[in-house]
Amino acid sequence: MAHLTLDDAATLLLQLEASDTADLTKLRDALTDLAFENRVPQRAQPFVARAARVLGTIISGNTPDAAVAFTEVSEAIEEAMRLCDASATSSAAPVATMPVAATLVAVTPQTTRVPTPAMAAEPSRSAQHEIGSDQLPEDKDLLPDFITESHEYVAASEAALLRLEENPTDEEAVNTVFRAFHTVKGTSAFLGLSRIAAFAHEAESLLSRVREKEISYARGCADLSLRAVDMLSALLGAVVTALGADGRIPLPAGYHELLDAIASYDPALHANGVSRPTPSADAERGDIRAEISPVNAQASASVSGSANAAPSSAAATAATAARQARGEANTDATIRVRTDRLDRLIDMVGELVIAQSMIAGDELFGTGKAHELLRKVTHSGKIVRELQDLSMSMRMVPLRATFQKLARVVRDTAVKAGKTVQFVTEGEDVEIDRTLVDILGDPLVHMVRNAVDHGVEGPADRAKVGKSNTGTVRLSAYHASGNVVVELIDDGRGLYREQLVAKAIEKGLIESDKNMSDSDVFALIFAPGFSTAEKVTDISGRGVGMDVVRRNLESIRGRVDITSAPGQGTTFAIRLPLTLAITDGMIVRVGQERFIVPLTHIHMSFRPEPSMLSTVVGHGEVVLLRGELMPIVRLHRLFDVSDAVQSPLEGLLMIVGDGNRRTALLVDELLGQQQVVAKTLGAALGKVPGVSGGAILGDGRVGLILDVNETVALAQTDAITPLTRDRDRQRDVAA
Amino acid sequence: MSMHHDTPIATSSRAGKYLTFFLAGEEYGLEILKVSEIIGMQPITRVPRMPEFVRGVINLRGKVIPITDLRKKFHMEPEGSDDSCIIVVQMTGVQTGIVVDRVSEVVAIAGADIEDAPSFGAGIHTEFLLGIGKAGGRVKLLLDIDKVLVTSELEALQAAQSHGA
Repeated sequence: MAHLTLDDAATLLLQLEASDTADLTKLRDALTDLAFENRVPQRAQPFVARAARVLGTIISGNTPDAAVAFTEVSEAIEEAMRLCDASATSSAAPVATMPVAATLVAVTPQTTRVPTPAMAAEPSRSAQHEIGSDQLPEDKDLLPDFITESHEYVAASEAALLRLEENPTDEEAVNTVFRAFHTVKGTSAFLGLSRIAAFAHEAESLLSRVREKEISYARGCADLSLRAVDMLSALLGAVVTALGADGRIPLPAGYHELLDAIASYDPALHANGVSRPTPSADAERGDIRAEISPVNAQASASVSGSANAAPSSAAATAATAARQARGEANTDATIRVRTDRLDRLIDMVGELVIAQSMIAGDELFGTGKAHELLRKVTHSGKIVRELQDLSMSMRMVPLRATFQKLARVVRDTAVKAGKTVQFVTEGEDVEIDRTLVDILGDPLVHMVRNAVDHGVEGPADRAKVGKSNTGTVRLSAYHASGNVVVELIDDGRGLYREQLVAKAIEKGLIESDKNMSDSDVFALIFAPGFSTAEKVTDISGRGVGMDVVRRNLESIRGRVDITSAPGQGTTFAIRLPLTLAITDGMIVRVGQERFIVPLTHIHMSFRPEPSMLSTVVGHGEVVLLRGELMPIVRLHRLFDVSDAVQSPLEGLLMIVGDGNRRTALLVDELLGQQQVVAKTLGAALGKVPGVSGGAILGDGRVGLILDVNETVALAQTDAITPLTRDRDRQRDVAA
Repeated sequence: MSMHHDTPIATSSRAGKYLTFFLAGEEYGLEILKVSEIIGMQPITRVPRMPEFVRGVINLRGKVIPITDLRKKFHMEPEGSDDSCIIVVQMTGVQTGIVVDRVSEVVAIAGADIEDAPSFGAGIHTEFLLGIGKAGGRVKLLLDIDKVLVTSELEALQAAQSHGA
């Protein structure tokens, strides 16, 4: 394909004004391309780069006098053209030596770019493209896929960048990030998302400089690359916002600044970025490692080896990393399926199971005459059950992606807090339900931040108590008794019971810690408004509190247990169900109706003795069980069921709820325990008070799943304001 | 009286095929494109604390969908018949079932045969009607099912909120 030449650039520049931001951006990108892809002689490159840089200041409006800046750009281009001509007439090779190797390594740039609408090759066409660059393109159908895909690239790049920080010579990591930006650039340009394309282009250029060993991957470059990944993520977010709104794509904050910073990145000018040949490069790398060493211990050990100038070991590490990367690519081979289709499949399989059990339960088999048929039915039953297990597993995703994101959180928090933290993860392959992963993310980020910011001590404090300089935050996941446990362990200062108690008393949360176990005391940190941090930093000051963490986890039926010893560190164990889709439920009968009560909420069920029952003025009926007074909630009254058992002596009381707010629900009888697949009652019904959803029971009918907390709350409000509804309204019995 | 503000647009798009059904002796029509299937009467699980016209929910091949009783919705006498059945309608991705007395036929009604609903005397709120169609010598009340169901949803929500308050 035809690349923009310097002549083209000069011509184009004459036609443009400072207000043609979009086209100027194109031109600048083209020039950056020219400068960094070695299509001009090396001597001319600095001038082209300068032209691009000055253009950048015009675009971002950072120049005091646009006219002067324009002159500067055109002078730079002229100078570059002069140098080009000079080297063309001389017999010197027009292209420097390095790029040969670069093109060999590069699988992508020149070839894959062909099908995408050119960034710079056809200025007139791209100029049209650029009009209204902050608008969504006409064709929106492809955008959701693009966004999903790009987010995956963002995640992959982030992981690769962190790996690169570990081992700056990891070429595979550089290539991963480069390819990510490159693909995003190509696709976004194709879709007409010119701003993303332009940005990805800058980031790609930076990475290509690293790849071609023009600059080494040092601190300044690392931060810039990570910021670029963040910005790309923000740009994608902006497109999502635009999709939901009027189609205008908002500009993420700091976009132009970052663009300029990337475009003008020069290792020599950035104190932290030390270019490869200088002798201090190794020291610098060692420095990074001392500052923070994320991910796994094995890799960080080999990095320290490379810092000690052992090139062979460094190469070995790079090779291992590359192999690992390829291995991951293999295991992650997937097809993307829309979740609603998946849910539908699971629904259908559930139906199949019910239909199958109906056939197997047919009275024909009771007669003992159809042995052969029964054998076949039993066989098909096995297949159906296997199919059910399989379909359930399709919603499960590994925790890897969630953990990877946290590596970044640890890094950033540690750098800000001036701490040295090693982040170790285990059990990334443990799978949980997709919806759980989404909800688990935020609480984990907060807890990890807390662990680094409050848990782990600063290096000086650690030295005082004889711990190693580097703190460790360990995140592990494993299966335990049908649950998934995610453990967050730090080896920091731990929790001090006395401090927590004093604080809680001061805040009026408790009166004394009498009868409180350690775990009760530790659980106080989840109380709203409770913070033991001596200083509120911008790391832990922002975001959600621990009370929100607990609420989020409870919304996915998770439980957090804290164990801690002063000076030894703290362990948070989050216990999660494998999936939200399946609920262990107790099916109870109330009159002719059946309800499903989630097993996790039930403490016990019993038939009371007359002596246990009493009526307390102002509190209604109560039951006294082992010294505890609990209000009785009559489900039939709450849900208006007419033919139910009226006296608790003939029915059953089911103790539900937690802590000191336990309640006894009056039901007719228990029908048995069953795993049910929770479904919504449909958007058309809206929110049904006291009911969290429905499930298909064994006979094919729908059973309602009780929301226990809401039911209890409902009973309390009903007690205060009696039902105004017409109780005697005719119940409709299903035909 | 409340009339269709968008009458001109409605007129042009009203012609088409309708599924007709009986409800308390009257024949009604439902745009065929809104109908996803017709199923026989089946056990309905009542949902507590919902307005009366919400009969409950059923299991439609693994999916839980709500059922609206049109007789109750239109304040007619309740009366179950053996021919009662459920028409499953699809509106913006949400499936809902409506209980009717008997399903009749599918007819094509030309635009010229559809008149605006009179503002009186139709027995049900005229806001629920697309118009009145004539086919086969009979008059059919053409329902705007979106309005019928959206209103029921709103009312259901309000009812739920007033109970919860």
